Formats: sequence, structure tokens, C-alpha cells
Amino acid sequence: MSRTNYQHLVTNPAVSMPRRIRILKNIVLIALAIILVRLFFIQIVEHDAWVAKADEAHTLLETIVAKRGEIYMMDDGEPVPVVLNQTTYQIIIDPAVTDKEGIKHALETYAKDYTVVDLDEVYDTEGLRYSIVAKNVPRDMANKIAEENIGAVWFKKNNQRVYPEGEMASGLLGFVNSDGLGQYGVEGSLNGELSGKDGLLKATADVNKVALSIGKDNVKIPAEDGKNVVLSVDRGLQKGVEEIAIDAVNSSVATNASVLVMDPNTSEVLAMANLPNYNPGDYGNVKDASAYVNYVTEVPYEPASICKSFTYSAALNEGAMTADTTYFNEGYEIVDGWKIQNAEQRASIYGTISMKTALYWSLNTGSIYALKLLGGNPAAITQQGREKLYNYYYDKFRLGQATGIELFEAEGYIPDPNEGWGRDSVYANMTFGQNLGITMIQTATAFSAVINGGIYHTPTIVKGTLEDGELKTQSQVEVVEDQILSPETSASMRDMLVNNRNYKVRDGTDKYGYAVGGKSGTAQVVRNGVYDDTYAELVGSYIGFIGPEGELPKYVIMVKMWGEGQSVGSGDAMDLFDKLSNYAINYLKIQPKA
Amino acid sequence: MPTIRKHKSDLVILFATLGLMALGLIVIYAIGPMRANVLNNTYGTDYDSNFFFIGQLRSVGLSLLAFFAAFKWIPYKYVKKFAKPLMIVALILSGLLWVLAMAHSSLVKCELGECRWFNFGGLSFQPAEFLKLAMVFYLADFLSRKREEGVIGKWREFWLPLLIVCGLSLFLVVIAQGDLGTGVALIAIIFGTLLISGVPARQYLIMLAVVLSVAVGSVATSSHRMQRVDAWLTTLTGGESTDSTYHVENAMLAIGTGGMFGVGVGNSVQATGYLPESINDSVFAIMGETFGFVGLFIIIAIFGVMLLRMLKVAEGTADFDARLLIIGVFSWTLAQVVVNIMAMTSLVPVTGITLPLLSYGGTSMIFITFAIGEVCQLSCYTSREVIRNEDISSRRGVRGAHHSSGRRSS
Repeated sequence: MSRTNYQHLVTNPAVSMPRRIRILKNIVLIALAIILVRLFFIQIVEHDAWVAKADEAHTLLETIVAKRGEIYMMDDGEPVPVVLNQTTYQIIIDPAVTDKEGIKHALETYAKDYTVVDLDEVYDTEGLRYSIVAKNVPRDMANKIAEENIGAVWFKKNNQRVYPEGEMASGLLGFVNSDGLGQYGVEGSLNGELSGKDGLLKATADVNKVALSIGKDNVKIPAEDGKNVVLSVDRGLQKGVEEIAIDAVNSSVATNASVLVMDPNTSEVLAMANLPNYNPGDYGNVKDASAYVNYVTEVPYEPASICKSFTYSAALNEGAMTADTTYFNEGYEIVDGWKIQNAEQRASIYGTISMKTALYWSLNTGSIYALKLLGGNPAAITQQGREKLYNYYYDKFRLGQATGIELFEAEGYIPDPNEGWGRDSVYANMTFGQNLGITMIQTATAFSAVINGGIYHTPTIVKGTLEDGELKTQSQVEVVEDQILSPETSASMRDMLVNNRNYKVRDGTDKYGYAVGGKSGTAQVVRNGVYDDTYAELVGSYIGFIGPEGELPKYVIMVKMWGEGQSVGSGDAMDLFDKLSNYAINYLKIQPKA
Repeated sequence: MPTIRKHKSDLVILFATLGLMALGLIVIYAIGPMRANVLNNTYGTDYDSNFFFIGQLRSVGLSLLAFFAAFKWIPYKYVKKFAKPLMIVALILSGLLWVLAMAHSSLVKCELGECRWFNFGGLSFQPAEFLKLAMVFYLADFLSRKREEGVIGKWREFWLPLLIVCGLSLFLVVIAQGDLGTGVALIAIIFGTLLISGVPARQYLIMLAVVLSVAVGSVATSSHRMQRVDAWLTTLTGGESTDSTYHVENAMLAIGTGGMFGVGVGNSVQATGYLPESINDSVFAIMGETFGFVGLFIIIAIFGVMLLRMLKVAEGTADFDARLLIIGVFSWTLAQVVVNIMAMTSLVPVTGITLPLLSYGGTSMIFITFAIGEVCQLSCYTSREVIRNEDISSRRGVRGAHHSSGRRSS
């Protein structure tokens, strides 16, 4: 190769120009080769790992929250809402981007009560990119904050329950907690129907968690909204019952009252009150969780002498006695060495009296005699008697068993007729409603069978569902219709129970032309395993029915009143029943016998 | 010196430039709406979905104007005459920016605490980009003059003025504007042209060592820069993710998900806000996601061919100052391409440098296309003879070094 013309380019012979350009050429080739090797490694060798990592970072898995069903009661034959939904908002920020002073000011101005975090703490947390700063913010307040146009603030819609009737029926309805889960009452027991089924959104999302149309495996399962549940409860009746019961509590030593109104011919619940109520919209501020309890279905107790109706029904139905069967009332009875006394000791009823009279005066000796007759031996309680009573109480009246109503229920218990010590005294006590544990709903349902012609109906509180404004009647319970007593037994019982209240007609409490019957019950409280004979604390109960004279009863009303350490007699409960029965006759427009 | 007749320009450089700009436009068209959406959602801005595409279209239009102006209308000799005043203007502009930034003038635009832009009623201008161009012209002029004077390598006549101008430039860019990316490009331009200027190898290596130690020192003493180095080492060694590693990790995530053929235009997920600077400094990563390994291979090949063609033109250019200018443009392009891509693949720490001709941005594209336009102009005056004039001994030397290094590593 020629070396001419080369020297003029180079002043310093030690420096070779083409050689230095070749160095640059090599730098280019080496640098680009390194890059290509690196890219091959990232894009081909590690490709799957990066795709997995990207899926993790980009995939948005979001629950599409199903709309919770609303709860309705009946009013004039039409469903009316008592629990509704309201849209509220969660406010979410990205502390790395959201202007701290801006959001701080906005929250203090518009959502102070809904703020759930300490902003200083949030902003001090290193690496935090997502923080829910406020919850349950009403729509208008959320709008105001949105209008502030602070960057990197998101609003997440959620539904909140509102209660147009305020505290009414709170113990029956329950509430929805902050996780959207129904608690207590209908909200709790029918949570499945009400909450529906959440849907799912799986999508590739951008950095702000907005779903993109890019991804290949995007999935959208729509939510199935919850059902609107229509209760059989009559809103007006419920309201009136509660008002009267609150008055009764306030004018007595009782602190609590529970009231149940049902149709004995269907066992449909028309009112169910637990007083005092609480505000279900502010359930968090309830001091004592017992306020949430629905005493009608969840708490077994001793309804006491009310149960004499069941003992009498059993003996009548077995043909062991009639209302006019007589026995000798000494005022007490000794069983298994225990002396069981009557509460009523007046001289006029000492001696031979009828069973009807014994029920009128609520004599324990009378119901014990009925148990003896059931056993075929007027002189003693026998195994046969115990077994027959158990058969009626447990198998026929279904006492001590969950009824199957669409609410949370306690079972309670009925003692075994043969197992255990002192069965005779236990069963003697059981004839007048002690030594057992049964709920108000069990008691009222059994009582309905006693007076409705002898048919046991499974109680229900749900009429159906409301779909597109139309009431779809469907039973939520396994309905049992069981003729457990003969119509004659039932008629005789109605007769005796009306007889119990004859003096109420005379004193003007009960109106002419109506058949109102009832039975009271005063229960002693068990302290340290034995009945407290000082009567320092008593639970008063009353159960009765109303209807036009000469027809089957239309409504059964049960009342229970109590107070911790308070002696609440059946008198208070009966007074409340008197008021409620008259209110119900008026409200329900029951026509008297023509 | 033989007179060389004008001939056709180097079409490879021309088409590589146009091709890359077109590719950049396509990508910005696809991801610009996502970028606008992210900014609107995050900062409450109100960018139209075509905002970035239109912006890029405008930049490309202006860049083409600059390119053809340099290529066809502004003769190199004319530019050379103004090399010194251009450098002075560039330094004044950068100095002015610094002073105005300290005075919090509204004429200065700052982003993330760094004030690098003049702002004239919505139009922004980055003097550092101008400084790079001025540096290329200035060094071409300065080094060729010193060579004619025969003072290359002399302390007073050569090194001192050079150190003053380069030192001042680097100070204004790296310290005053906090722009390490432009600093790296400037250093590449300086050392690229110096290498060709005929500086004795010993002096060259000493200078390189001095600059590198100053650079290492400045990184080690700045917590902000150490953080980047730390983040880089963390990502490279697969350590725990932090806020600092977020950028590189997401760049690698974009590139990695691209696989062999990419997810296709408009299907980038990383551009929807995950990858910071997706349309500017990180556009290479988005291209990796969109076009895959094959696409990146082609892009890198285009850059590689373009760079090698520049060297070929330089070799064939008889005028020494023109050759220096080409090497300056080459060094500038090489530095930006390599440093940008290596940062995206976690081979070097992130410095904040654009990918020439592809990244979104006005000033940077206009100046580099102008510079490439000059190279295209000069490519019309190459001589085959010069290329043939090779020193056989030097060729052996290169080969020898190449082979021996190969042995060492095996």
C-alpha cells in the first residue's frame, strides 16, 4: 500500500490517525455488542420472569361490590322501605404525589368527621403510595373535595345503610358493619340474601388502577345484587307497639320490654319489638352489646305460668281431664321433698275446685294435678305423665327447639323426662313454666296452636322479596303445618283463657263483642343454681289473643318485661298487654261480633 | 492538499437519521395519549391526547429544517468562522440561566428542582443542548488551529485555554444545572476530538485519568448522585426494590416483557404511568416493550451503522478541522446512545440523557440533527485516497492489542 500523502496529515509521527479512528470504531462495536448481549439476556432469557413480574404489577383484581338489598315492611298491604342504601365515598391518596396541605385543608373543611387517619403519620410513612384517608363521606361533601382539584386524590364509591324510621325495630333489623357484613337481626340472619354475590374484575390496569383495554386475559363477572327483603311486619303496628311499650317501660321499674305480635292462623310475625332501641346508623356508639340482642328469638327464659296453657292442653287432648274436672286444692304440693306453693292463697279457693278455676287463679297445684292426670294416677306424678308432658312440650309444641324462623334463634331446652335426679319436681315445675328454657317465639307459636284450632305453623317473618317494585311472595322457611291438638281441646282452651279475662270485660278494659283471652306469667330468677325466693328480681310475661267474639282469634300478642335487679311482676306485663290489645283492635280494624 | 470534488452525500447517515425520527414519531403517537392521561390523572393537568404527538411532530419539522439547513445551505467553512463567537454565546446563555435561576426569574423553567430551561411564553429552550453543538464547532476550530501552530500538547498554548473553556462548560452544565447527562456528552465530545487531534497518548491518558477521578469524586461527594449509583448497584445485583430503583426496574420490566417480537404498537402497558419519563429518557424501554428484541436489534443496528459511517466519513475527510467536527458529532451521538441505553438496561446508573432522534423533546433533537446535517454536508467531500492511506504498522498495533486482550479474557 502506498504511503504517499500520509505525512501531511500527521504532524506528530508518534500519533497515528487511522489507528485512533479504529479505536473509536472498536468502542462503538464493543459498546453495542455489550448492549445487545444484555438485551438478549433481558428479553429472551429472562423474558418469562419479567412477564410474571409485569402481571403482578399490572393486574387489577377488583371486586365489583354487589348492591345490598333493602329491607321493607308492610303498610296497608304495600311494601315500604325501612332500610335503604346511600352512596358514600372513601377518599384515597398517594402520599408520594398528593399535595399534603391541599388534602389536609380539604379534609378539615369538608370531611373532618369522616377522616380515619393521621395525615402526618401517613406522610411520614416511607414508600407509602396508597392510603385511605376518609370513609363514609357523603356525596355532596365528596363533590366539594373533588372540586378542590387536588392531584392524586381518588374517590371510591360505597354503599351505606340509612334508616328512614330511625331507631324503630333496631333489635329486629340489626345493622351492617364497616366491612359490609350484616350483624344481628335481619341484616345478620339474611346476610346471604341481602348481600348478593360480588362480581370480579380482572384487568390490566394503568398506574392509577384504571382498567385498560390492552390486556388479553381481562375478566369481568358482574355482581349479583342482593335481594330486597320484605318482612311480614306491619310498619304502623310496629311503630305503635313500640311507642306504647316505651311508655310502659318508662312508667314501671322495668328497663326492658319485648313484644311479639303474630297471626296465630299463619304464625306470621306482625310486630317484633325489643326495647330500648338503638340507632343502627350509629351502632358503634352503643355502650352495651346486649342492646343488639333480639330477645324474642335469641334468649331462652322461663315464661312461667303462661306454660300452664300447654300443660292443660296436653291433659285435655289426651282425654285425661276437662275444664270442669275437680281436685282438692290445699294451696301447696310436696314433690320429691320440695314444697311447691301457690302464689294465690285466699281462703275461698281452698278445697275442691275445678281446673278452670285453678287456671283463673293460676294455681300451681292445678297444673301439677293435670300432670298427675296425664300419668293416669291422680295421686302421684308418674313416668308416663312425665313422658307424655315431654311429648307435648318438645315434640308437639316444639318448645326447646329452634322454630326455623328467618332470624337468629336460640334452641333453649326441655329437661329429659327420665334422665337425672328429681324428675318429678322438675316436671312439676315445668307444668307452670319453670325449670326449662324457651324463647318468646317458641312460646307464642305454641300458644297460637293452642288457640287456633290446634294447628302448629312454623313462624315466619319474611313475606317475600321485592323485584322491580313487585312483591314476590316466597316462603323462606320449611313450613310445617301440624294438627297437634284436637279442635275441641283448642276450643276448651280458648274458653278458659277468655274466662281468665272476664273481669277485664266487666271493668271495661276489654270491649264487648270481642273475644280476648290471656295468661300471665311471673318468673323467679335463678340465682346460684336455685330459685330466688326473695322475689327481688322477677320477669313479667303475658300472652293473649284477640278476635271477634265467636270466631277464631286473629292476633296473638306476647309481652315480656324485665330489668336487672328489678321485681317486674306479670301485672306490668298484663297492663301493657291490655293497652296493646286495644291498640291492635283499633289499628287492625277488627270488627266486633255484630 | 488535493482539491476534492463534491460528490453525493452519505445516504446511509441521511436515511438512518430520517428513519429513526420516523420511528420516534410512531412510538410517540402510540404512547403520547397514555402519557397525557397519566399526567392529567396525577397532576390534574389538561393535556389533549394528541398533545405529545403534535409536539413531536413540530420538533421533527423544526429538526428537519435544521438538518437540511446544515446539510445544504450553511457551508461548513462559514460555520467554522463563527465557532468562537458561538461558544461565547453558548457560555453566556448557560451563565445567564444560572444567574436568573438563582434570582428565581420567571424566564427560567425548573423541573424537579433542576433549572435547565429558558421559558419564553410557553416555548422552552435548553442552552445545554446549544452548548454541546457549540463545543463541537469550537473544538474543531481550536484543535485544528493549535495543530497548524504546532502547539498541541503544550501547556500554556494548548492545555490551559482548553481546560478553561471545557472546565467552564462542565461547571455550568453539571454543577449549575445539575445536568450530569449533558456533562457526560460534553466529556465524550472533548475526549473524542482530543483523541483525533494528535495529543500524545501519555498526555491524553493522564487527562482522561484526571477527569475520571474528578467525576468519581463529584459523584461520591453528592448524596443525590450516590443514591443513583446505589440504586444501580441494587438493581444490578437483584436487591430489594426502593423508590430509587423504581425507574430502572420499570425500564427493565418494559424491555423484558417485550420478548422476541414485542407486544406491538399501542399495547405498551408500562407507558400507562408505570415507567417514568416514558416518552423522553425512557423511550428506548418502551420501544423494547413494543418491538421486542428484534426491534431493538434493528434500532441499535441503525445507530451502529450510522456511527460507523460517520467514522468512515471522518477517515475520508481531508480537512483536519472538518474531520474533528465529524468526530465531535460522532462522540456526541455515541455517548447519548450508549449511556441512555445502558442506563435503561441497568449497565450504568441513570443520568438523565435523551436518546438522540427518538426521545420526545425539541431542543435536543434540533441541535443534534443540525450537527448530523453538517456531517452529511461534509460527507460530500470525502476522498478515497485518504481512506487508502493507512499506516500498516498502526494497523498491526490495533490488531495486536485486540488479540492480546482477547487472550487475557479467555
